[in-house]
Amino acid sequence: MNELATLYRYRQLLAALTARDLKARYRGSILGFFWSLANPLLLLGVYTLVFTRFFPQQVVTPYPLFLFAGILPWTFFSAAVLESTNSIAGNAGLIKKVMFPAEALPLVVVLSHLVHFALALPILLVAMGIYAAMGQVTISPTIALTPFLMLLQTIFVAGVAMTVASASVLFRDLRDLVTNLMQLGFFITPIIYLIDRIDSRLLRALLRLNPMTPFVVSYQDVLFFGRLPAMSDALLMVAYALVSMIGGIFIFGRLRDTLAEAI
Amino acid sequence: MKSALLKRDLKLTPETSVSALKDVSFVADRGEAFGIVGRNGSGKSTLLKIISGILKPTSGIVRVNGRIAALIELGAGFHPEITGRENIYINGIMLGLSRREIDSRFDAIVEFSGIGDFIDQPVKTYSSGMYVRLGFAVAVHVDPEILLIDEVLAVGDEEFSQKCIAKIQELKYRGVTLVFVTHQLDQVRMLCDRAMWLDHGEVTSIGDPARVVDDYLQDVSGAMPAPPSPAPDTAKTEIEEERWGSGEVVLKRVVLTDSKGHELVALGAGSAVVVEMDVDVRVPQDDFVFGIGIYHADGSCVYGTNTDLEGLLPGRLDGSGRVRFLMPSLDLVAGTYRIDAAVHTRNGRAFDYRRGVLRFVVGSRVHDIGIYRPKHEWRFDGKIAFREIDNLKRNVPAPMAEYLRENEPKPKKKS
Repeated sequence: MNELATLYRYRQLLAALTARDLKARYRGSILGFFWSLANPLLLLGVYTLVFTRFFPQQVVTPYPLFLFAGILPWTFFSAAVLESTNSIAGNAGLIKKVMFPAEALPLVVVLSHLVHFALALPILLVAMGIYAAMGQVTISPTIALTPFLMLLQTIFVAGVAMTVASASVLFRDLRDLVTNLMQLGFFITPIIYLIDRIDSRLLRALLRLNPMTPFVVSYQDVLFFGRLPAMSDALLMVAYALVSMIGGIFIFGRLRDTLAEAI
Repeated sequence: MKSALLKRDLKLTPETSVSALKDVSFVADRGEAFGIVGRNGSGKSTLLKIISGILKPTSGIVRVNGRIAALIELGAGFHPEITGRENIYINGIMLGLSRREIDSRFDAIVEFSGIGDFIDQPVKTYSSGMYVRLGFAVAVHVDPEILLIDEVLAVGDEEFSQKCIAKIQELKYRGVTLVFVTHQLDQVRMLCDRAMWLDHGEVTSIGDPARVVDDYLQDVSGAMPAPPSPAPDTAKTEIEEERWGSGEVVLKRVVLTDSKGHELVALGAGSAVVVEMDVDVRVPQDDFVFGIGIYHADGSCVYGTNTDLEGLLPGRLDGSGRVRFLMPSLDLVAGTYRIDAAVHTRNGRAFDYRRGVLRFVVGSRVHDIGIYRPKHEWRFDGKIAFREIDNLKRNVPAPMAEYLRENEPKPKKKS
C-alpha cells in the first residue's frame, strides 16, 4: 500500500488543492456554493412535480424528502466521477511541468464534491425538520449513521475516480462513455422509485447489480425511513468500496508512468 | 514506453515514437553547477524531466540523492482565479514544503518576487513578468538540495534576471547542486562548473563549460573550415593547459613579466605585472576580442575582463602583433594562481582559448586569508595598544618570525 503512504504524505497538498478548487470555483460568482445545489434542487422539483401531480400513484410520502435523500449521494457520485475524467488531462501543466503526485488530481475532485455533499446535508436536515414539525415524518437516530455511509461512499467514489481519471487520458472515448453512462445510471439506481415496488423479479435483481444501489438505498434507509440499512446492503457497500479502491490504485499505478507522455 | 496496459494492444501505442535521448550519462556532484546546452529539440528538457522524475526513462537509470526542485516552467502550478498569497502556499506545498515552512518564508518570497500589494489579487490579474517572478521566488525558497532549471532565467526584465542569477550563485555557494538548461551561453560560462552539449539526444561534448560552449558555438556558427590546427609551435607542453579554438588567430606566446619585461613565475603581493601575448593572425578578422582571466588555484575567478567589456570596438586584425595587459599593482593574497588568455569573437566563439596558460605564485610573509588584498593599514586611537611582535609570532612560522623580529622594526604594516 505504497500509494496510501504517499497520499498520507501529500495530505497537506490534498487539503490545499481542495480548498483551492472550492475557492476558485466560487470566486466571482454571486450565488457561490448554491450553484452546486442548483442541479439537485432542480431535479428534486421536477421529479416531485412528475410523481406527485402527473402520476400520483405508488409514491412514498413525503416524496420530496425521499428524493432528496437519494439525489444527494447520487450527485456526489456522478459529479465527482464525471469531473475526474478530465482531472488529469485538464491539469496537463502540473503533470508535465511539476513533480506532482498525479493521483492527487482525481482525489481532489472527489474531496471537493464530498464537501459539496456535506454542505447540502444541513439543507436536507432542515427540510426533515420542517416535515417533522408538520408531523409527516419522525426523525430517527439512524441519521447518525450518515457519516459512515459517506466514508464508504467516498472510498468507493475515489476508486472509480482514479480509474476513470487515468484511463481517460489514454482512452479519450471514456469521457463520452462516462457522461452517457451517468444519464443511464440515474435511472437504474433507485432514486426516484422504490426498488421493492418493481414487479419484475429479474429487473429487481438487475438493479441490485448496480454498485450505487446499496449506497442510495442505505442513505434512504437511515435518512428517510429511519431504519438500519439491510445487512446485505452494508456488506455490498464495504465490498464495492474495497474493490473499487484496490482496483483504482492498481490501474492508476499501472498507468501512472505513461501519463506525462500521453497527455 | 513502459506501459503495462498497452503492452498487448499495439494499436494504441503512439504512432511515431522518437527516442529523445540516447546513451546520455553524466554525474553532477554535490554542489556542482552543471549546464546543458544544445539546439531546440536536442533533448535538454526531456533530460531534466527525467532527472526530476516527471518522465520515466524507457531504459537506463537515474540516481538522485537529495531533495530535488525542478523549475521546468515557472508558475506551472498557479491557479489564475486565486490570489498570489494562496498560490504561494499551494505551489510551496507542491514543491514539498509544509504549511509552517511556507509561513516562515512567506515574507522573503513576496519580497524577492517584488509583487508587493498585488499579492492579494488573483493571479490572473498579473502580468506575465509578475507571474514568473512569483514562480521563481517560490521555487528558490524551497531550499532544494538539487535544483533543476529549464530556461527560466531568460524571463523577466534585466533587473530581475540579475536577481535570479545572484540567487542562483548564492544557492551554489550554499552547496546546492544545480543542473540547468539555457540558451544564454554566457550564463553557462559564468555559473557552471561543468557543461554538456546535447545534440539530437546524444552527448557531443562534456566538461569545461567554456570549452563546451565554444564547441557548440563553433558548430552553430556553421562549420568553419578547420584552419591549421591551433599552433603547437610554441612547443612547450604546458602541464594542465587546456587549449581550444578555431585557430584563425593564435596566441603564440603568453608570458607574465614585470614592468621591465623580465619573465616572472613568482611575485610578491602588490607587484607590477604585465601579461604579454604575441598574436599571430592566419585569417584576418574584423570581429575580435582579447580577454584575460585570473583564477585562484581553487578555481574561483579573481578577475576577468576583455576588450569588448571595456568598450574597445574591434577595428581590424590583419597581422601579427603583441598585446600587453598591464597591472600596476596586483594585490593578491599569497597563493597559486592561473591565467587564462583568449582571443575570440564578440559573441564568444574562440579563435584561441588558452586555459591556464600561465601559472604563478604570489608569496607573502603575512598569512592573511582570502584572494584580494586591498591596500590597507591599521590605525588606532585612544587606549588601544598592541605588541606587534607577539602577533607576528603567531602568524608566521617561528624561525621566520625570529628573522623578521631582528630585521624589521614595523612588520605589521602591510602594503
